[in-house]
Amino acid sequence: MTQTVNVFQLASQLAAHATKRQSLIALNVANADTPGYKARDLTPFADSFNSDSTMSLRTTRPGHLQSSFQPQNAEVVTESNFGAESPNGNSVSLEDQMVRASEVRMQHDLAMGIYAKSLQILRTSMGRS
Amino acid sequence: MTDLLSTMNASASGMAAQAARLRLVSENMANADTPGFHRKIVSFEAINSMMSDDIGVQTGNLQLSQAPLNRVYDPGHPMADADGYYDGSNIDVMIEIADAREAQRSYEANLRMFDQARQMVSSTLELLRR
Repeated sequence: MTQTVNVFQLASQLAAHATKRQSLIALNVANADTPGYKARDLTPFADSFNSDSTMSLRTTRPGHLQSSFQPQNAEVVTESNFGAESPNGNSVSLEDQMVRASEVRMQHDLAMGIYAKSLQILRTSMGRS
Repeated sequence: MTDLLSTMNASASGMAAQAARLRLVSENMANADTPGFHRKIVSFEAINSMMSDDIGVQTGNLQLSQAPLNRVYDPGHPMADADGYYDGSNIDVMIEIADAREAQRSYEANLRMFDQARQMVSSTLELLRR
């Protein structure tokens, strides 16, 4: 049971990451013609999941506390896209942003799918269908 | 969820800014043959709010292009001077068309982002129906 709950947590954090990324990409697209604007993005979810911050606990035995993942670990980075910079200092490439947006879409769909499926499994385990 | 709503706000501000730009382009096109008309140009700038650094985009101050006006030779024109020339507008229709097309592309990209955020909201709300 606790495993399933962990899946819920993970799925919602994945969705939160996708949502935050989507808001950054939308800002990039909105500022596609703003002089001097630099495109921004989040660090990948996998990176923030694996990042060994100084706050994480070391686990050497099965009984040790697991440090839980914090979605705040994902940081905003300024993308430097070589060659995509306009003469007015804008570094947003619309094509690149579209690709990223579809990645975000897949990530969000994945999170929603996992969440829905886990919910279904939980219901089945409770004897309802 | 608040992120998605702010996403939709950002995309909407982008669409509004591009629409304003497209309106100026069409004004320029309409006045391409107006004597003494200066091209109107507008630049974009990020919106800063007290809460966060930038929440969208808006059009900056309207500026008039200071490029020299076209000298048109037409001795029969009422505004022609002694040499037969009068000051036309400084509008290049090709540039205006290119600008309009760029505004259209950016508008569509913003619309796409808006639609995607909307779909993400509805797929999140879909979880409630189960």
